[in-house]
Amino acid sequence: MSADRSDDPIAVPATSSTEAHLAALAGLPEMGPARLRGLLADDGPEMAWSRVVAGRLPPLVQHRLGARAEPLRKLWMDAARDRSVAEVWASIVEAGFTVVTQGGPGYPEALVDDPEPPVLLFTAGHPVLDDDRPRVAIVGTRRCTGYGRDVAVELGRGLAAAGVVVVSGLALGIDAAAHLGALDAGGAPPVGVVGTGLDVVYPPTNRRLWERVVEVGQVVSEMPPGAGPTRWCFPARNRIVAGLADVVVVVESHAEGGSLHTVASALERSRPVLVVPGPIRSPASAGSNRLLADGAAPACGIDDVLCALDLLGRGPGPGPGSTPAQDRSPAMAGDGVTGDAAKALDALGWEPVHPDALAARTDLSPIRLGVAVAELRRRGLVDEVRGFLERRSGPL
Amino acid sequence: MLATVNAATLHGVSGHPVRVEVHVANGLPAFTVVGLPDASCREARDRVRAALESCGLPWPARRVTVNLAPTGVPKAGSVLDLAIAVGLLVACEEIEPSAVADVAFLGELGLDGSLRPVPGALPLVDAVDVPVVVVPPENRAEAALIGSRSIRAAIDLRGLVLALRGDEPWPGIDDPVSESADDDGPDLSDVRGQRIVRFALEVAAAGAHHLLLVGPPGAGKSMLARRLPGVLPDLDADDALEATRVHSSAGGDLPGGGLVRRPPWRAPHHGASAVAMVGGGSGTMRPGEVSLAHGGVLFLDELGEFSPHVLETLRQPLEDGTVRVSRAGMSMEYPARVLLVAAMNPCPCGGSAAPGGCRCPPAVRSRYVRRISGPLLDRFDLRVGVNRPDPADLLGGRAGESSAAVRARVIRARLRAEQRGVTANASLGSAELEAAAPLSGPSVKRFEAELHAGRLSARGLHRVRAVALTIGDLEDREGPLDVDLVETALSLRIDPFRSEGPRVR
Repeated sequence: MSADRSDDPIAVPATSSTEAHLAALAGLPEMGPARLRGLLADDGPEMAWSRVVAGRLPPLVQHRLGARAEPLRKLWMDAARDRSVAEVWASIVEAGFTVVTQGGPGYPEALVDDPEPPVLLFTAGHPVLDDDRPRVAIVGTRRCTGYGRDVAVELGRGLAAAGVVVVSGLALGIDAAAHLGALDAGGAPPVGVVGTGLDVVYPPTNRRLWERVVEVGQVVSEMPPGAGPTRWCFPARNRIVAGLADVVVVVESHAEGGSLHTVASALERSRPVLVVPGPIRSPASAGSNRLLADGAAPACGIDDVLCALDLLGRGPGPGPGSTPAQDRSPAMAGDGVTGDAAKALDALGWEPVHPDALAARTDLSPIRLGVAVAELRRRGLVDEVRGFLERRSGPL
Repeated sequence: MLATVNAATLHGVSGHPVRVEVHVANGLPAFTVVGLPDASCREARDRVRAALESCGLPWPARRVTVNLAPTGVPKAGSVLDLAIAVGLLVACEEIEPSAVADVAFLGELGLDGSLRPVPGALPLVDAVDVPVVVVPPENRAEAALIGSRSIRAAIDLRGLVLALRGDEPWPGIDDPVSESADDDGPDLSDVRGQRIVRFALEVAAAGAHHLLLVGPPGAGKSMLARRLPGVLPDLDADDALEATRVHSSAGGDLPGGGLVRRPPWRAPHHGASAVAMVGGGSGTMRPGEVSLAHGGVLFLDELGEFSPHVLETLRQPLEDGTVRVSRAGMSMEYPARVLLVAAMNPCPCGGSAAPGGCRCPPAVRSRYVRRISGPLLDRFDLRVGVNRPDPADLLGGRAGESSAAVRARVIRARLRAEQRGVTANASLGSAELEAAAPLSGPSVKRFEAELHAGRLSARGLHRVRAVALTIGDLEDREGPLDVDLVETALSLRIDPFRSEGPRVR
């Protein structure tokens, strides 16, 4: 390896040589966790890198790749000769990212015994994963309902307030809601595990949230900077989410969905899985309710999650986060609402309702209903999504 | 021998007077038509000859020249057949020239000498500058709508010649039995539940506000839209005549009695081309769907499937109420004041629009949404979600109000709009709206909140205000716009494509 280092204008500091070479290997085109592990099966990172530069692949990798071996060997060799380790490292340092490697300092304890540990992790923000705070993953569908969103916010807020690190995937829907809740509490900082490079914000609509998580907590990725979203990167990300968490909480999941991958990974790693029960008629809860039927423990409030962590005493004390969900009746959340608005709120229930159905239930004229709903929306008790009305447990 | 006969030809939706000059001279037998006839016009020779011979009338074995004056205007169609035949008969001294001096002749000839109906009888009769017009029997009722002309109908050429010679009276022709009621399509009372959408239909009809219905397949979007013409008031005299002109010149079926009195309903398929939508074509230009729907409802089902180009061509007519089609040879202006109703699915999977109810990944859905441009979406004052009806409503619910009951309220609201000088509130300009709909204090606050939150543009503000005014008209409110009207107007303007999940500030 010293051969190629001597060619470089920027010298790689000796301490980060392993990290730099791993990052460079990970940054090769068409590289993924499995291929990377294959390249490192027998060699150290430096050795593996010089093999790639020389245009050679370990026999085992060659065998596994089959027909893809030859084009990949060529691709990797050209890419490796094109961009030196030092250049890769300089760009990582410049972007403010750090690299932790398997067996190296800063590598999360939780992943040491993982069945498929990431060889390296790129991280941005603060080293939240270094401390020994408990971690809970909150996962769920991107296409959530207002109910799921509210529950995710509440759980995120309550857990963070109780000093629990909320781990999630920074995706749309439940992930974003959980992060928002955790940020809002101002307690333990959240951790986002993403499936793209740390400089590729995906989905772009979450940019602001992503930046706030970096400011306060930590965002980690197995993928090198510049890696865009691919079909397989999210399931791969989900295993890290499960691996990092002490407990996994599913808020809402459709009958098929990425959060079920996370659950499978969690079970494989013997992580307890809690599931928030959902309305039986809601498609967004079909998968999560099935998990409950299959024997997952229900999460009916913060206390259930803290209990699973063995932290019940550490709750934030009396406050929104600690109130068990079953004690919060609709009437309490809608305090101070009177007249038509109260009637509409009562008829609304906790599932998305079309105004037509609400008009039929309350027998209010469209104008009176319009006014009632407007009042409820102003108070943050109701939200409208694509024409449907959803009950909200509070503004956020 | 020379003869001159009055006729007219169709040019877009209006007629042009034509003088048919027939000259019969010695020479080799020939028959020439000059004066920019199109193919079907030139074929008149063969039809006229066969018709004359079938009726036992003479065909001159001499040199015949037919000139269609003014010669610079292109003539299209078979409407001049009858005038050419009559001109020929006058030139051959079968009919006295004085008998045809103040008469215009419109109609196509069959080979047996019978008179066949022509499209556009109304504008054609309107265009001729003589007091008496002879038309085929089928066009009689329509032609009679121009009150200032005396209309004669003839069944065939033989009867016409006898009547012109004064040998027989003009044949009395019974008008086709007019259908007892204009067919307005199905009635609103068939609709169960769907209160909000019914209300939106009522507001749309009362204020002529364009309406977008968003909902999953099977929710009843088309079914509801189809019932909109039934709650619209009758067309006023001018609109009826204009609509009849358009339908007549397009050769469409006219209702019994000839006059399009009820608002038309047009529902072009989403494969429609831009020309089909706004009009055009070669030869005689045809009015497009937007003009055929003049005074009535233009329904675009599956809005997202229309070609974006076609939808964009609709924007100008929607704004101006007329459409100007220009081609190399000519340019035409057609009326195009329509109530636009569009329906679309919330996403490609056909699932419910309810949060969590659809199977589309967010990216697929946002791609689908981008097919509808912002400016187009902005044209819809009313945007409501349509959900599949409640099973309870479907099976046991009360029957809704009938179209007639709703129409009565709509007519009342339109009367109030007329006092403001417009046919409906949607056409109020900003100054007029300012005068007609001052805002109450709470309404101002409400609008301020919406504007500050970025949920409303300046145009949106104007639109919501007009809708609120219409709702007030339906409710017989007076004075400044109350905040409840504003709230209701806002609730009828959903963002059909909002994604679920939290908004990050």
